Amino acid sequence: MRIVIVGGGIAAAYAANAIMQKEKGHDVLIVTAEKYPPYDRIHLCRLVDGSATVEDIRLDLHKSVKVELSQKIVSIDTVGKKVFSKNASYSYDKLIIATGSKPKELFDVSELENASTFRSADDGFKIASGIKGSNVVIVGVGPIGLELLDTLVKMDAPNTVFLLSRSRHLYDHVLDPRAVEWIAESFEEDPRVKISFEDEIVDKQIEKNRISKIVTKRYTIENPFLIFGIGKKPNIEFARESLDCDRGILVDDTMKTSDPDIYAVGEAAQLRSTGFIAGRVKECTQQAGVAVDNLLGNKPVNFQMEVAINELKVRAFQFVDVVSPSYDPHSKANEDIIIISKSLKRVDQYIVYKDLLIRFIGLNSNVDVIELKKMMEKKTPVDPSFFYRSRKESKKGRLVCSCTGTYEQDLIELIKENAVTSFSELKGLTRAGRVCGRCRQDIVELIKRVHIDPELAKKIRAQKEAAREEKKMELVRKRIEKFNRLHPRNRITTENLEEALKALDMNREYNRWISMITAQMRLSPAYEEVVDSAVRQLNKIPIVWLELADCSGNSEAFIKTSNPKITDLILNYISLDYHELLMAAAGQHSESVLKSVIQNDKNRYILVVEGAVPLGMDGKFLRIGPRGETGVKLLKRVAEGAVAVMAVGSCALDGGVVAAGPNPTGAVGVSEALGRKDIINLPGCPVNPVNIVGTLIYYIMFDEMPELDSLGRPKWAYGYRIHDNCERRGHFDMDEFVLEWGDEGAKMGWCLFKMGCKGPYAHLNCPQVKFNDGMSWPVQAGHGCIACGEGKIAFDRYANERTIEERKR
Amino acid sequence: MSKKKIVIDPVTRIEGHLRIEVEIDENNVVKEARAAGQLFRGIEIILKGRDPRDAGLIAQRICGVCTNVHYRASVTAVENAYGIVPPPNAQIIRNLITLSLFVQDHIVHFYHLHSLDYVDIVSALEADVKKAEEVAVSYHDYPYRSSVGHFSSIKEKLTSFVKAGRLGLFANGYWGHDAYRLSPEENLILVNHYMEALRIQTTLSKAIAIFTGKTPHPQNLVVGGVTSVADMLNPQRLNDFIFIIKDVHDFIERAYIPDMKLLVNAYKEEMKSGVGRGSGNFMAAGSYMIRGEEKIFEDGVIFDHDFDGIEPFDEKHITEEMARSWYKSDSNDPYSEKTEPFYTDLNEDGTLKGEEKYSWIKSPRYRAKPMEVGPAARMIVGYLKDSKRIKPVLKSFMEETGMELIDLSSTIGRNVARAVEAKICSDAIFDFCSDLIENIKYYDEETWTKFDFDKLPKETQGCGIHEVPRGVLSHFVRIEEGKIANYQVIAPTTWNASPKGEKGKRGPYEESLIGIRLSDPSRPLEVLRVVHSFDPCIACAVHIVNTRGKSLSQYRISPV
Repeated sequence: MRIVIVGGGIAAAYAANAIMQKEKGHDVLIVTAEKYPPYDRIHLCRLVDGSATVEDIRLDLHKSVKVELSQKIVSIDTVGKKVFSKNASYSYDKLIIATGSKPKELFDVSELENASTFRSADDGFKIASGIKGSNVVIVGVGPIGLELLDTLVKMDAPNTVFLLSRSRHLYDHVLDPRAVEWIAESFEEDPRVKISFEDEIVDKQIEKNRISKIVTKRYTIENPFLIFGIGKKPNIEFARESLDCDRGILVDDTMKTSDPDIYAVGEAAQLRSTGFIAGRVKECTQQAGVAVDNLLGNKPVNFQMEVAINELKVRAFQFVDVVSPSYDPHSKANEDIIIISKSLKRVDQYIVYKDLLIRFIGLNSNVDVIELKKMMEKKTPVDPSFFYRSRKESKKGRLVCSCTGTYEQDLIELIKENAVTSFSELKGLTRAGRVCGRCRQDIVELIKRVHIDPELAKKIRAQKEAAREEKKMELVRKRIEKFNRLHPRNRITTENLEEALKALDMNREYNRWISMITAQMRLSPAYEEVVDSAVRQLNKIPIVWLELADCSGNSEAFIKTSNPKITDLILNYISLDYHELLMAAAGQHSESVLKSVIQNDKNRYILVVEGAVPLGMDGKFLRIGPRGETGVKLLKRVAEGAVAVMAVGSCALDGGVVAAGPNPTGAVGVSEALGRKDIINLPGCPVNPVNIVGTLIYYIMFDEMPELDSLGRPKWAYGYRIHDNCERRGHFDMDEFVLEWGDEGAKMGWCLFKMGCKGPYAHLNCPQVKFNDGMSWPVQAGHGCIACGEGKIAFDRYANERTIEERKR
Repeated sequence: MSKKKIVIDPVTRIEGHLRIEVEIDENNVVKEARAAGQLFRGIEIILKGRDPRDAGLIAQRICGVCTNVHYRASVTAVENAYGIVPPPNAQIIRNLITLSLFVQDHIVHFYHLHSLDYVDIVSALEADVKKAEEVAVSYHDYPYRSSVGHFSSIKEKLTSFVKAGRLGLFANGYWGHDAYRLSPEENLILVNHYMEALRIQTTLSKAIAIFTGKTPHPQNLVVGGVTSVADMLNPQRLNDFIFIIKDVHDFIERAYIPDMKLLVNAYKEEMKSGVGRGSGNFMAAGSYMIRGEEKIFEDGVIFDHDFDGIEPFDEKHITEEMARSWYKSDSNDPYSEKTEPFYTDLNEDGTLKGEEKYSWIKSPRYRAKPMEVGPAARMIVGYLKDSKRIKPVLKSFMEETGMELIDLSSTIGRNVARAVEAKICSDAIFDFCSDLIENIKYYDEETWTKFDFDKLPKETQGCGIHEVPRGVLSHFVRIEEGKIANYQVIAPTTWNASPKGEKGKRGPYEESLIGIRLSDPSRPLEVLRVVHSFDPCIACAVHIVNTRGKSLSQYRISPV
């Protein structure tokens, strides 16, 4: 299914990832109007003060999700199922609209040099570059305005900063006036800051593209830089013609719009039932999840509002804001209960509606807000006096991460205990700071505050690492020990392996090979010892190698490898019991070898399959053995008792070249033919033998399959894009391309992208391992990659000497 | 007369899925034989409708053993169709690769795929290492790695394998069979070189990869030339290539050729009595110009061992029959003739329906006769045409071993032809290398002939016909509206492994099996020897082609 997601924020990214996580195989395309891939708007202030780049705040996307940048969608054709930008159109089976909202502005500032809204990365950059020496005027006192003010105050660039408030509020109109006063005071400690209450712009002068003067009720401001932070409205103009809309695009509780194939989520969507429009990260991602579940046709799920916790930090004030879904800010029946500590500058503001707590705003509060959240969720009736009598103080300090419910004290303990010195080290210890990302910067600062002796940190880290490795290694050793007790299938045992190596003058080569294999498997050099002992166990495992609809290319590659000569591997270490190309026995006698392995080594032998499985004509395009068994029957018979099945080469992955259009024999891969997902795929045309040997050794060491990607390929070999590791990558970056075979660029080894190299679309370790004893690989030979490891698609789309663009023409 | 049927499937130590069925009489003499390809993939159907420039990358995947030559033949066929001639350097690089492949294929075939039909590994354990050294020296003054010490360590290794009782790949061979003739010492010499050849073939493939990026499935040819210009201009790369070839050349001189002499002596009786001799029709198309004046391989056609009646090769006499192949064609209107797979299955018991269709391989014929192609054909033709490159080498070998030309037409003879050819090819590689160095020295760095694809004819056809290790390989392409309209391949094994044709005339494998006597029908080693002597490559052999005496590229193929 082709799913198009319109939008470039967290809801779009969350929806895309959710699809890839729940069901593989869909084509997911994100179309964003911005020139950056989806990023996290929560951190826009960091773009203003320059502490981060767009790249730093980019949202993680599953690698199969495609993104189209700078395509602002202008209309939807719901009949033809297409969305249009000014110069492109995108077909969809299902559409998700996550276009978010547009900032409100008092007048259009898009053409003005020294005025901006504050909603996108480009807004951030515009502000960053424009405020130097200016008198900044921020209109809007909500959380966005306050956070921006907080950021600007920390910078040297602005000359002065005005914050205009039409009334006497800051943060939210319900916030207690004393809190407002404290905050204003705190900001105005900086002489550059003026917080002007009951003030607004009354006049302005514009010359060309610049505002030369702003006049407010109280001030006349020259050389201004104006920023609107006064709110937002759903960004849905393009959808008004084709979908039912009110303020936002109207959706039912499953997030479906008036068109059954279109969903809308986040700030662009408005619930028909309640009129609710999401504004917080949590609600947006929750809606995206609901939309994806319904769109994929899983169990129907409805969006339900939950109690939300928001945080904000400005100056020395830490806000925490807990809101129940039943909170109505304009209800007359709302009552405030305020507990204030002047000396601590602490405010606990409870808002109660008919015996129910519906909102809590805390300023530097130490109340346990998770308790309050539970109270709101359970709808526990309370008497106002309860809050005075039993103040639920948090024993663990303030709540740092509301998504995971992690308190400051929890984090400090975690940090000390594990000698954490950077945010990344917290990974695996806690999810705090990694859900919505809001508190991430907070945690980073917390880590800085907690003193950790660097020496101690180093020691603890090293100890932990060592303990982890030792535990893993111990498992591996035990596993190998198990093989030690088995009778070797070849006579070569650990003792006379030494002798055999000596006889073949291969001791040095052997050690080098062990290092090479260890490195290729992306294990640390400490593993060399166990890799070595695993290699010595290879001859304990019977291996059956079946050739189906193939060309023997993978067998050829296997016997041509070296370091040490793999042929010695075959003769000495691996017990390759059945292999049509290499075995001495033939006909009935080779059949009986196969039979004996299947019977006597049930659940012990490894099956290696090379070639596609033709299913057309009942599988009769391939018959093997004295009884003329079809290829597919033979495969099923041998696979049944195999402890693991490895599909080598691209044909075994998905039919490869044999299944290329029009797939004359109905060929499929091993996984599909067997209807099994637990096949280890090692594609490539042919597969690099290092990847076969590495996988065998991995199996011996860990008794499990290596981590596989979505195509069932081991990540250690297939997790890297050829383009990213290519020896010619530098030339790509420098725009140095071969433009004609044999030209000067070709002689100098420039980038082959324009000659149709498909390295950017291929995931394999060819650039690192190379072929034929590291002698070369296709890019080195000046031809470029054909992405042969991607399966049959390589032979329908990639195996040519033209770029994807040229090929379309 | 009671007839007994023997089925060998899979035939191992070959590329691809081949079945052999023979019928023997009460004296265990083969009276009837059938060779059948058991896999159909339809690469030509996949090629149809594609851009002609892409043919090479798909067509090379016909076979992972002969990968290189299909790549080359395919690219050449397209060049031939468009009249594009690659520059001399590109031709030389292509020749270096192809000839290296000849050497590699022949070495792997003899030692790893075929020698175990003659060499009894278990018997080698009885060898006296001192005596083995003496035997080795009697075939060459400096035999390859044949010291007493080395023989001892090889023997020790073998002993440990055999004692274990589990032999891995060597399990279930026909060890101890009556038809094994070598002494324990001779067996040891060949087993020793079996091991050495494993290393040689690995390094040789490294040499090939220098110019091709990888092998199998190289990636360096494009229509108009080669891409590996940077490797060509790098003296270190060329140097690496030459030194590997030198090493291999040494192996051929001191191991392969002497081993072959040893084999001829041991099996002379068989050779002289013509075991494995076919009908005596040989065909060679000739290939590989060197210095624009002489060809390495000459062309010629011989019928019924009539060596005086040699005639020049002309592709227009090639036809192809399919009476006993799993295809059908609608032949009422020659211009709409279509060839389609038409599978008639096996018998209930899994045997071939011998009197009907029984193979995926078709029956190509020259002047309506089945032809043997490959090293024996090339060597006989080269000898008869007084080739300067072939005759002297072959003559000296024959004189030393007491052979006559007719002896090449036998199981052992095909192996002799292959060994001699390996030497001729490795000699020629040095000549091509020096030509290449000469060109570069005089600033000829060109590796590609420029063309504008949009201006090339939209309707055209062409062919690439080459001698390749197993015989004559032909690719034919017909282009319409700038796309491949028809693609056809006749591979060497298609000729040699063909089933019966329209008049019931057997193919070369089949004919060569008639009359051989099996000493133990339950272990049909003699059958394997004959079949292996052709170096079968079945993946190459199965193709949809239909000609019926008309120009090869006029017919359509339709998908199943």
